[in-house]
Amino acid sequence: MSAVLALAPRLRRAGGRDGRLTTALAVASFAVMTALTLSVVGGLLGFAGRAADPADAYQREYGDSYVVFAWTAVVLLVVPLLTLGGSAARLGVARRDARLATLRLLGVTPREVVALTVVETAWQGLVGAVVGAAGYAALLPVWTRVPFQGSTFSAGELWVGWPVLAAACAVVPVLAVVSGVVSLRRVVVSPLGVARRQTPPGMRAVRAVLALVAMGLFMVVTLVLGQLGAFAIAFAIGSLALGFAALNLIGPWALGLVGRLRVRRARTPAQLLAARRLVDDPRGTWRVVGGLGLAGFVAGALAVVPLLASGSAGDGASAAEVAEMRTFTGDLMRGALLTLAITFLVAAASAGITQAATVLDRRREYALQVLAGTPVALLDSVRRREVLVPMLLVAVGSAATAVVMMSPVFGVAGVTDPSGLLLLVTCLTAGCLLVLGATETSRPLLRSVLAETQVRPD
Amino acid sequence: MSTISTPGPRLSARGLVKRFGATTALAGVDLDVAPGESVAVMGPSGSGKSTLLHCLAGILVPDAGTVALSGRGLHDLDERERSLVRRRQYGFVFQFGQLLAELPAIENVALAPMLLGTSRREATELAGRWLASLGLAGMEGRRPGELSGGQAQRVAVARALITGPEVVFADEPTGALDQATGHEVMRVLTETTRLAGASLVVVTHDAGVAAWCGRRVEVRDGRVVADERRVPQGSAR
Repeated sequence: MSAVLALAPRLRRAGGRDGRLTTALAVASFAVMTALTLSVVGGLLGFAGRAADPADAYQREYGDSYVVFAWTAVVLLVVPLLTLGGSAARLGVARRDARLATLRLLGVTPREVVALTVVETAWQGLVGAVVGAAGYAALLPVWTRVPFQGSTFSAGELWVGWPVLAAACAVVPVLAVVSGVVSLRRVVVSPLGVARRQTPPGMRAVRAVLALVAMGLFMVVTLVLGQLGAFAIAFAIGSLALGFAALNLIGPWALGLVGRLRVRRARTPAQLLAARRLVDDPRGTWRVVGGLGLAGFVAGALAVVPLLASGSAGDGASAAEVAEMRTFTGDLMRGALLTLAITFLVAAASAGITQAATVLDRRREYALQVLAGTPVALLDSVRRREVLVPMLLVAVGSAATAVVMMSPVFGVAGVTDPSGLLLLVTCLTAGCLLVLGATETSRPLLRSVLAETQVRPD
Repeated sequence: MSTISTPGPRLSARGLVKRFGATTALAGVDLDVAPGESVAVMGPSGSGKSTLLHCLAGILVPDAGTVALSGRGLHDLDERERSLVRRRQYGFVFQFGQLLAELPAIENVALAPMLLGTSRREATELAGRWLASLGLAGMEGRRPGELSGGQAQRVAVARALITGPEVVFADEPTGALDQATGHEVMRVLTETTRLAGASLVVVTHDAGVAAWCGRRVEVRDGRVVADERRVPQGSAR
């Protein structure tokens, strides 16, 4: 085992420029994940602190509600952030799979292959966590400019403390390792399958059934919320998390289904290639657009906010009560938009990073295609289609899912109300443009890779 | 075997020079390839044979000298036009990796005519006929990873020839195969190319592979040091 583990740093260095770039992308992803997670936790602690020790009557009255909303934001953000971390752990998976599959064929045991991956991803996670913690500290002055409850937070209120920072530096490498080891299963089980790229087994429809059950559970819980007493909020937030998990289950399955339909209907090379890639690896595509799917879900859920904001103060309310309500609904809207903005940023980062990794992993294939006369514009078109079609499907589909799931509480008024609909459409459009923009960063990378790739040096 | 009677070379290189930094890969190569001729370019590793193939195919632009395909100079063309030449008039067979892993065999072959504007249905029908003629009937739906090395190279041959190219370039086409499979692939490659009326340029370091070609060109230190014609293996049968 030790002889094989001693290979880890050498294998890392042997990756050359691509290896360094992939590592940099992975570390950057872990850093973004850590910085934003700490920021969100800091926000939660800030609201909890104000609720525990209110500075004025408003904080005394509404402090607990803000804590509940902050928890909701944490639940809404945790899955996209974990998805980003998962993408980071799987970065360069094709290259690593091929390398580890070769080692397996040379006689390295499954346990040693897992150990190599653990070493590689753990140090990437650790470096990312440390950089992310520094990023969180750098972002604190930005968050202290956002007003909530009539005043801005101080840096001290949003500071998570050294123990939490230390915990982040321990937890992120563990998450990275778990994600990396899970993605290794196919190398360990069948090295030949990875080395030779066989047709992947289709995903079972049981995913859809599980997802529907989770969604149903959420809707039932929200319907009987009033009878759950003190546990109501915990149940609602828990089932919201379940809904999110359901989306992650159903997403890749639905994308695979759409891919098969698109293969049948494809007429041009770009349509055919993009559809085949979707069928080949729906989980990989979900990793690119899944973040946006979850953001779409958040946007769908938040479409009810303008409705809540408009119908808050009663007719007989005093001027002070109206002012309080204005502050409350303004904060609700601000918090919702902030949550959404972070979700979209995370989704865009996930998409950009995954696409860049795909270009690097497929460099030889791309170079050979161009060599044989395939226009680079076609590769660009395939790359764009790979993201665009699933992205639109996922964004609209998940927003609709959220609207359906929220309907027991708010009915369909959330989206029939013009301001809610406007918010939903604006958010989805902005998010899609952001993700598309992020994926376009791999366009110059593709050209640079093609310019530098020597297919077979003489 | 003689190729003197042909009206003019299909592919013609004059005074090709190509440098990579301080290294001179080609130091003034002249080469003519006649229509239907099969040429093996041989030489040890680093001799410049792959660089020669890449210059002839318009992949690399030589520092000096010219390459002409059917009398038309490639040096006058920009990258987009050279790419079009490679798509329309050339076919390629590489050692491995040119087949797209996600596509089944039939779509890998059909992709080439689709890139030239043929409809998917027509291209698929044509690809099916090519695969059947190369002994791959029944394997149309298999992906490259589910084919043997020899079968995958036959798919690559079908993909190279389906568009009716004037010249087929093969870069170590049997490099990843055992000897028996390699000979079978060379038989298919040379026979099919001849029947299609295309010229064939094979880069190899293997004399057994070169024996399937009617002409053997030896490259050393970026120069042609030997050029001989012979009866290719398989033609006597």
